[in-house]
Amino acid sequence: MRRAAALALATIVLVLLFADFVAPYSYAKQFRDAPSAAPSARFLLGTDALGRDRLSRLLYGGRISILLAPAAALIAVALALLAGLAAALLGGWCERAVTAAADLCLSMPWLFLLIAARAVLPLDADPTLSLVVTFGLLGCLGWAGPSRIIVASVKSHLASDFVLEARSYGCSPLRLAVAHIAPNLAPLVTAQFWIAAPAFLLSEATLGLLGLGVTEPLPSWGNLLREMENVTAVAANPWMAAPVLLLIVVVSCSHLVVSAEEYGV
Amino acid sequence: MLPAVLLAGGLLAATLVRLAPGFAVDERELDPRLNASSRDAIARDRAADSNIGRYYWNYLAGLAHGDLGQSISLRRPVKELLIERAGTTLRSVAAGLAIAWTAALLVAIALEIFRRPLLDLFATILSGGALCLPAAVLALVFLYLGAAPAHALAGVLFPRVFRYVRNVIRQAARLPHVLAARARGAGELRIIAAHILVPAAPELIALAGVSVSMAVGAAVPVEVLCDSAGVGQLIWQAAMARDLAVLVNVTLLIVALTLTANLLADAGRVAVRQEQA
Repeated sequence: MRRAAALALATIVLVLLFADFVAPYSYAKQFRDAPSAAPSARFLLGTDALGRDRLSRLLYGGRISILLAPAAALIAVALALLAGLAAALLGGWCERAVTAAADLCLSMPWLFLLIAARAVLPLDADPTLSLVVTFGLLGCLGWAGPSRIIVASVKSHLASDFVLEARSYGCSPLRLAVAHIAPNLAPLVTAQFWIAAPAFLLSEATLGLLGLGVTEPLPSWGNLLREMENVTAVAANPWMAAPVLLLIVVVSCSHLVVSAEEYGV
Repeated sequence: MLPAVLLAGGLLAATLVRLAPGFAVDERELDPRLNASSRDAIARDRAADSNIGRYYWNYLAGLAHGDLGQSISLRRPVKELLIERAGTTLRSVAAGLAIAWTAALLVAIALEIFRRPLLDLFATILSGGALCLPAAVLALVFLYLGAAPAHALAGVLFPRVFRYVRNVIRQAARLPHVLAARARGAGELRIIAAHILVPAAPELIALAGVSVSMAVGAAVPVEVLCDSAGVGQLIWQAAMARDLAVLVNVTLLIVALTLTANLLADAGRVAVRQEQA
């Protein structure tokens, strides 16, 4: 099951990465003769209200989300690793500060933090800036959960024999962290990455649906879902739900991969 | 620790909003009907908030006297807005949590009693599928079905709560004392009530605390999409209008609510553990 999920995920990622070659049109190209067109041989998923090919926008939007959500997950996990290692190794005020910051981040609902932080941008922000800020924020705000797990894991490693032996040879805290503990955290960090990436995809989708994600004309999964606000139109034209279906497939495949990773930890 | 985290949360929200581009600009300054002195007065009001430290100090001093400030975008006292909307959100969050928890416990217990692999697979696929959907899309689905915001919240919360409850109950059911009770012929309901739910109570209580934070977070998209006039919708409107007074108060309120829920859950968990010991 894990292999099938990984294979499906890899295939989707490959198709999305080569959107330039796979997509029939540019994501911004308007066909003013065919606004809100139904699926046909010319437009396989029809067109949106502005006459843009839905399939092309789905492929380009998917590419943006599928590249930037893992990038944001990398930021979050890297921050969590740094904070976790510093807190567990240095202890004292550093551990208290990291714990308090993590408590603060975790006590505020994730979406509320994102909305408050995303509201910092002007509403007419440049699309590329909105893209970078949205995913950058996801990365910077998502460190708290993984850091707690990493702190607990580093502490358990600190009590192990190999760390005591390294310490007895006079190993510095930095070398202890880089050479002895960090490599042992690899499975845990990988699992946290696989947990964070789909969570960020879903968060971007919710933000986009509420109008605070990536701005037009750049497509992303979030702003493609905005069409779904008109629920009666989606019920009459089910092909409009294609972004949701693709999102479900990608996120469920990631969950299946992460389940196996977790067992490996 | 709680007051420090509360204050830090409020300061964080105030700083974020203060740094927002266009914070110092008030739309009313563009109103041609206002004369120069009125526009100057508006600009002076706005400038008073521009020093974040001074704003926050004044805010805390006002808070000590029960004054939460004035909403710039809605032009009403924040206290009044919160009192007006808190009831709607509290009702839908409480009802959503109650429905989600009742359904999750019932389904998880039924799966444990019947132990049918197909039923288990069906529930796993259903909850897993719901977990793969953004909360806003789930809210839209419930909106389309004509459900109330509380039902939409329950729909968003159920898969998350169910996954944890199912795992906790499944793990508790594998403990040796449960196998021994089964071997002695104890009834399934008695096993569930006395041998599974009681040992699992500390974990379930901890999850209850966390689920309050989940519910508050989910209330934002649900209230925005369902057009429900609660605090979630107020957060949304304040974020769009960069309404500093509302955002700082709501941040403090939410941090206080989630921390209190977690503290109560921790206290409950410790009490149950001591009782069990």
